[in-house]
Amino acid sequence: MPGGDFHPWFFVIVAAWVLVCGLGVVLFKKIMYSAVSMVFCFLGVAFAYALLNAPLVAIIQILVYVGAISIVIIFAIMLTEVQSGKMELFFNRQTAAAAVVALVGAAVLAAVALSADIGRIGDKSLTPGLRQLSRLIFDRYVFPFELVSLVLVAAMIGAIVLATRERERP
Amino acid sequence: MNALNWWLLLSFLLFCIGAFGVLARRNIILVVMSLEIMLNAVNIALVAIANFRGGAAAGAGTLFALFIIVLAAAEVTVGLAIVIANYRNKRTVQTDTYDELKG
Repeated sequence: MPGGDFHPWFFVIVAAWVLVCGLGVVLFKKIMYSAVSMVFCFLGVAFAYALLNAPLVAIIQILVYVGAISIVIIFAIMLTEVQSGKMELFFNRQTAAAAVVALVGAAVLAAVALSADIGRIGDKSLTPGLRQLSRLIFDRYVFPFELVSLVLVAAMIGAIVLATRERERP
Repeated sequence: MNALNWWLLLSFLLFCIGAFGVLARRNIILVVMSLEIMLNAVNIALVAIANFRGGAAAGAGTLFALFIIVLAAAEVTVGLAIVIANYRNKRTVQTDTYDELKG
């Protein structure tokens, strides 16, 4: 179990939290329950980042995912239909095949993750501090950083164009 | 066994849960939500590797996670705008009714 500067049980709690909430997202019938489960899953992932000594990523996760993306998704749910009825309305015909694929994939990946010889690394955290990170963003990775802002502007304009109703011309 | 192995296990299992949601669910918004879960799983792996590897990989891994978060925000806005625009025409969010491009 991962240790370091926190008790191993913290990892168990966070992992169980994230996985149970993730399962809730894909298995709940009511989509609103799924959305709430998703919010808690994102929150658990933020705790995972905090345990991994990445406080900046944890804070951004809470701001962007728990704050913004969840709200957008809940808005979209409320603007569209709410389904109720039989199981076939929620899971499509390939559900059994999808479950097999997911389970086999999970088994293979779990075997890989647990048996992989990652090399000589300790339990010690080597994450750079905020100062080094900002130096990296604005020096070495400044071009991707600017590209990301361009993508954000394009996405914003695209979303507005797509979602606004076309006005009838007089 | 390293601590990193356990974090990677968590990441991979979460990824498979999200993949199941993408493959099996009918509601297009739930597919988007499952996609977000998969992106989060990848982010956990990136941050975990950055945390334990150190060196040049550490900063790059953390920054990649941040970029993925921002790009996921852009992706979800555009994706849900498409869903809303499509819902306005078809009055449904079931994935199997989106078959105009089938030919």
